[in-house]
Amino acid sequence: MNLNLRVVTPNRVVWDSEVQEIILATNNGQMGVLPNHTALVTALDIGVMKIRLNAQWSTMALMGGFATIDNNEITLLVNNAERGIDIDLQEAQESFRLAAADRARAEGKRQAIEADVALKRARTRLEAADALLFR
Amino acid sequence: MASSATLRREARRLGSLTSSWTVQTLTRPCQSPLPSPWLQQTEEVPSFGVRAISTQIVRNRMKSIKSIQKITKAMKMVASSKLRAIQTKAENSRGLWQPFTALLGDVPGIDVKKNVFVTVTSDKGLCGGINSTSVKISKALFKMASSPEKEARYVVLGEKGKALLQRDSKKHISLSITETQKNPLNFTQVSMIVDEILKNVEYDAIRVCFNKFQSIVSFMPTMSTVLSPEVVEKESEMGGKLGELDSYEIEGAETKGEVLQNLTEFHFVCALFNACLENACSEQGARMSAMDSSSRNAGEMLDKLTLSYNRSRQASITTELIEIISGASALQAKA
Repeated sequence: MNLNLRVVTPNRVVWDSEVQEIILATNNGQMGVLPNHTALVTALDIGVMKIRLNAQWSTMALMGGFATIDNNEITLLVNNAERGIDIDLQEAQESFRLAAADRARAEGKRQAIEADVALKRARTRLEAADALLFR
Repeated sequence: MASSATLRREARRLGSLTSSWTVQTLTRPCQSPLPSPWLQQTEEVPSFGVRAISTQIVRNRMKSIKSIQKITKAMKMVASSKLRAIQTKAENSRGLWQPFTALLGDVPGIDVKKNVFVTVTSDKGLCGGINSTSVKISKALFKMASSPEKEARYVVLGEKGKALLQRDSKKHISLSITETQKNPLNFTQVSMIVDEILKNVEYDAIRVCFNKFQSIVSFMPTMSTVLSPEVVEKESEMGGKLGELDSYEIEGAETKGEVLQNLTEFHFVCALFNACLENACSEQGARMSAMDSSSRNAGEMLDKLTLSYNRSRQASITTELIEIISGASALQAKA
């Protein structure tokens, strides 16, 4: 029994194949999905998704969206998605540092919120690129 | 002015050998560098002065038609390259709204109190009939949706739609957004547009009217329906496709209503994103075929004008020769 996982972004389909297990980051925390999961619609937070395929775990950075799980078909609609192996570690570290600096000097509520979101995105990408960092 | 005086003398001599077609060409408003008193004289004495002048006028007309043909050919090339770029994007975005249709179902026949029609049109013209078809179906649907208890409003995307709808439905337009295509379409831009729309308009159901791109020559006017969260809840209780929604557990926020609201907003953005891309594809495709047919028409016109130009040129040369020869033989006979 396998899960058919489909990750769709506005620009393209990022993933469309079978997997054994996934771990999603939702608004209410992380949740794992195994075959024969109950039917579910959930909102996704900006976070890392882990995919188990042939006893190997890989990561994907998701930038928020929705997930529907129905009869072993999982469809993820996200604003943006990047596979962990596609992310350049140096570049992710650099953007994380920049985002942290931006957050430190943000003034006013609106800037702080925007900087927070940017920081979260950078952190997600960094985490997906190198899972050991945030263990 | 001296040359025109000579032409006038020549023209009066050539007299009645004019073709009716050339007269029509001249009396029709045409681009000509000749000053207007000169043109007026031409119209007063149609049988004189047409032959010699006609070559110049016809030549100018041919020049302008040739340049128009070049421009339309270039526009066709530009449109076809733009089409290729957008087509892949549009096809990739089709996957976005399909999960929503699978989850929530597409219910165009749903009957609600407040309808908002989002008409997607282009900013630039010269793209065939797609904008008028979009506006026509929006107007028809609007009529169907307006009645004493129901209310309907327009949101227009694109200059052309705004111009067409402002003429007779000005008071029903809630919001009009133009110049969306200055930068290539992307999801963030559409989400901001949706933000604007949702801030300003109340709705029970949104109907997006656009032209779906089926092939380079065929564009289908399409309407996709997005329901508001309250309507989704109501309908899911009643059963049907939406009734299955209840069989799903909903997670992701404190209340089901909150998730549904996020979900429907996301649905709207995805539907509008796809609609904008498809409409852009249809616009480029329609522009390609419109420019192609106008290049062809210009070519035909050019052929006809070339023929008449050559005929009139040869006729004037022949008459000049005849005069010279008859003059020479008259002198000889005298001598």
